[in-house]
Amino acid sequence: MNSSAPSAASVALLQSLVERIDVGIFAVDRAGSVALWNRFMAVHSGKSSANMLGQNLFAMFPELPRPWLEKKLESVFVLGNNAFTLWELRPYLFRFPHNRPLTGGLDAMRQNVTFLPLRTSGGEVTLVCGTIFDYTDTAMAQLGLHDAIAALNQEKDAQRQLIAKLETAQNQLLQSEKMASIGQLAAGIAHEINNPVGFVNSNLQTLKKYCEQMLKLIAAYQPAEARIDDPEILAEITAIKRALDLDFLQEDLPDLIKESEDGLFRIKKIVEDLKDFSHVDEADWQHADLNAGLDSTLNVVWNEVKYKATVDKNYGQLPAVECLAAQLNQVFMNLIVNAVQSLDESRGMGTITLSTGHQDDMVWVEVKDTGQGMSEDVQKRIFEPFFTTKPVGKGTGLGMSVSYNIVQKHHGRIELASVIGEGTRFRIWLPVKQGEPAAQ
Amino acid sequence: MSMEIINSDQRDALQEIANIGMGQAGASIAQVLGTFVELSVPQIRAVDAAEIPATLAALAGDGVASAVRQAFLGELRGEAIVIFAEHSASDLADLLSYGDALDAPASRELLLDISNVLVGACLGGIAELLRAEIGFSAPSLLADQVATSKLLQADAIAARCALLVEVRFGLEKRVFRCHLVMLMPEDAITALRLALDRFIEEL
Repeated sequence: MNSSAPSAASVALLQSLVERIDVGIFAVDRAGSVALWNRFMAVHSGKSSANMLGQNLFAMFPELPRPWLEKKLESVFVLGNNAFTLWELRPYLFRFPHNRPLTGGLDAMRQNVTFLPLRTSGGEVTLVCGTIFDYTDTAMAQLGLHDAIAALNQEKDAQRQLIAKLETAQNQLLQSEKMASIGQLAAGIAHEINNPVGFVNSNLQTLKKYCEQMLKLIAAYQPAEARIDDPEILAEITAIKRALDLDFLQEDLPDLIKESEDGLFRIKKIVEDLKDFSHVDEADWQHADLNAGLDSTLNVVWNEVKYKATVDKNYGQLPAVECLAAQLNQVFMNLIVNAVQSLDESRGMGTITLSTGHQDDMVWVEVKDTGQGMSEDVQKRIFEPFFTTKPVGKGTGLGMSVSYNIVQKHHGRIELASVIGEGTRFRIWLPVKQGEPAAQ
Repeated sequence: MSMEIINSDQRDALQEIANIGMGQAGASIAQVLGTFVELSVPQIRAVDAAEIPATLAALAGDGVASAVRQAFLGELRGEAIVIFAEHSASDLADLLSYGDALDAPASRELLLDISNVLVGACLGGIAELLRAEIGFSAPSLLADQVATSKLLQADAIAARCALLVEVRFGLEKRVFRCHLVMLMPEDAITALRLALDRFIEEL
């Protein structure tokens, strides 16, 4: 700087640069008198350099935050280092109109200002120069981004709430679907069956006792036969005994009663199955025999099945599967009921084949029917909630969607093969053991 | 903590320069703020990059703090970080002629302003003694009222290790407390070594 004096030409060049540069440049001395005011400042403030030079900055711009700015300038004079203001924190130093009088935007030009110490040859800071950069476009872009991010966050929040709602709704649907299909069936049938079974069982026990007593009496009469003198009576007894085949009758009667008891026991078992099946609250993971589950489910819906289809069972050996047994039973029931409903009654009895099997760490349960089959379109949509091919009021359209979710929860999958006119086969694959987090 | 980044002569020189620089800085800051400033003796040490966040947290103590960073450029290169304990910075609002009502942007601007004054005075003083030409970037907010352990993330640091010069500030009869930490990355320390050697030779 102090080596050789710059030439007049380079001074003129510098002057022209300061004047023309698209940055606001001004300088003040320690008393606040303006020593430099370039064209940018003049254009934007409407005060020419001729008007400004030598004037007190604060007198000319009374709206400036005077104590703060004086302190800022003072720190530059004292420390000899730059000082700054940023548009994000202080939108502007001078309130200048922005560069979009027509297309709109912000209320005033956004400015970053740097205050520079200007030293004389002695090293003393004699002037502080302010450089004003127009950040309006950046500010507008950033505000736009801010708005966009805020909108996104809002949307995200709304979505999160919606997902939570959806989850609740789905749980409710799952629950209500259970209640609708099982609750009705189970409660109704169990109640209806329990009463007659109760008195039949009680009567049968009495009947059994009576029969035993009668047989005892007859046995007691047997030796007395030899003492009957009247040949007519003796002949009649012998004839009746022969006609009745009394020996066989005596043998068969206890068997018949025993078989009736067995039958009643089976009916009780079905009622128990119904109760087991509708244990809605039993949400514990357990190790269950799926073949047994399939059987008890079949018992529950047997009334729906028996006049429409014959059931072939083709069960394989299955290990105990870690599962929510009551929920899987619900899946089996859905599949069996759907299979029955797909049968074309005009073609007589259909066939439903229940098969199970085991492969590596997975077991599978298959329900196959000889029904109408499904079109590609239906196959694609079968797991959608509220999708149904049944007449209005007949199906909720939730069965398959609920089943799908239950199988998902077991980390399993459902395979589907269907041919129009030939039938449909659903195969559920389930892992024997659940992964670490799901277990217990 | 090993000091292999600079040798013991260089370290002594740097300590002396920092001491003198802080004395001068204290006087300038007092002139700007119009109040007496308490400065600690600068502590100099080398730290691994991974240790920097923990070191800063240890300086700031428990609780929450804010931090401002500012780069210094030129012959000496690095970043200065000023850590403000809790809300103690608002205690200085009147000294820098901020109004009574400090809204959020104004209180952040105040942090930047104080940092600019402290960093400019301290580092400017050191650079001047080393006869090194340096400039400063605009300060920016690194952390605003966060737990001291989260002031700086280790993975945000590009350097492998750094030279750390730490000074504590306090003001008489005020709660204001802050730490100024000057961090120079490993690869910028060669220039510092040269400047220190030059300083030692000229003694």
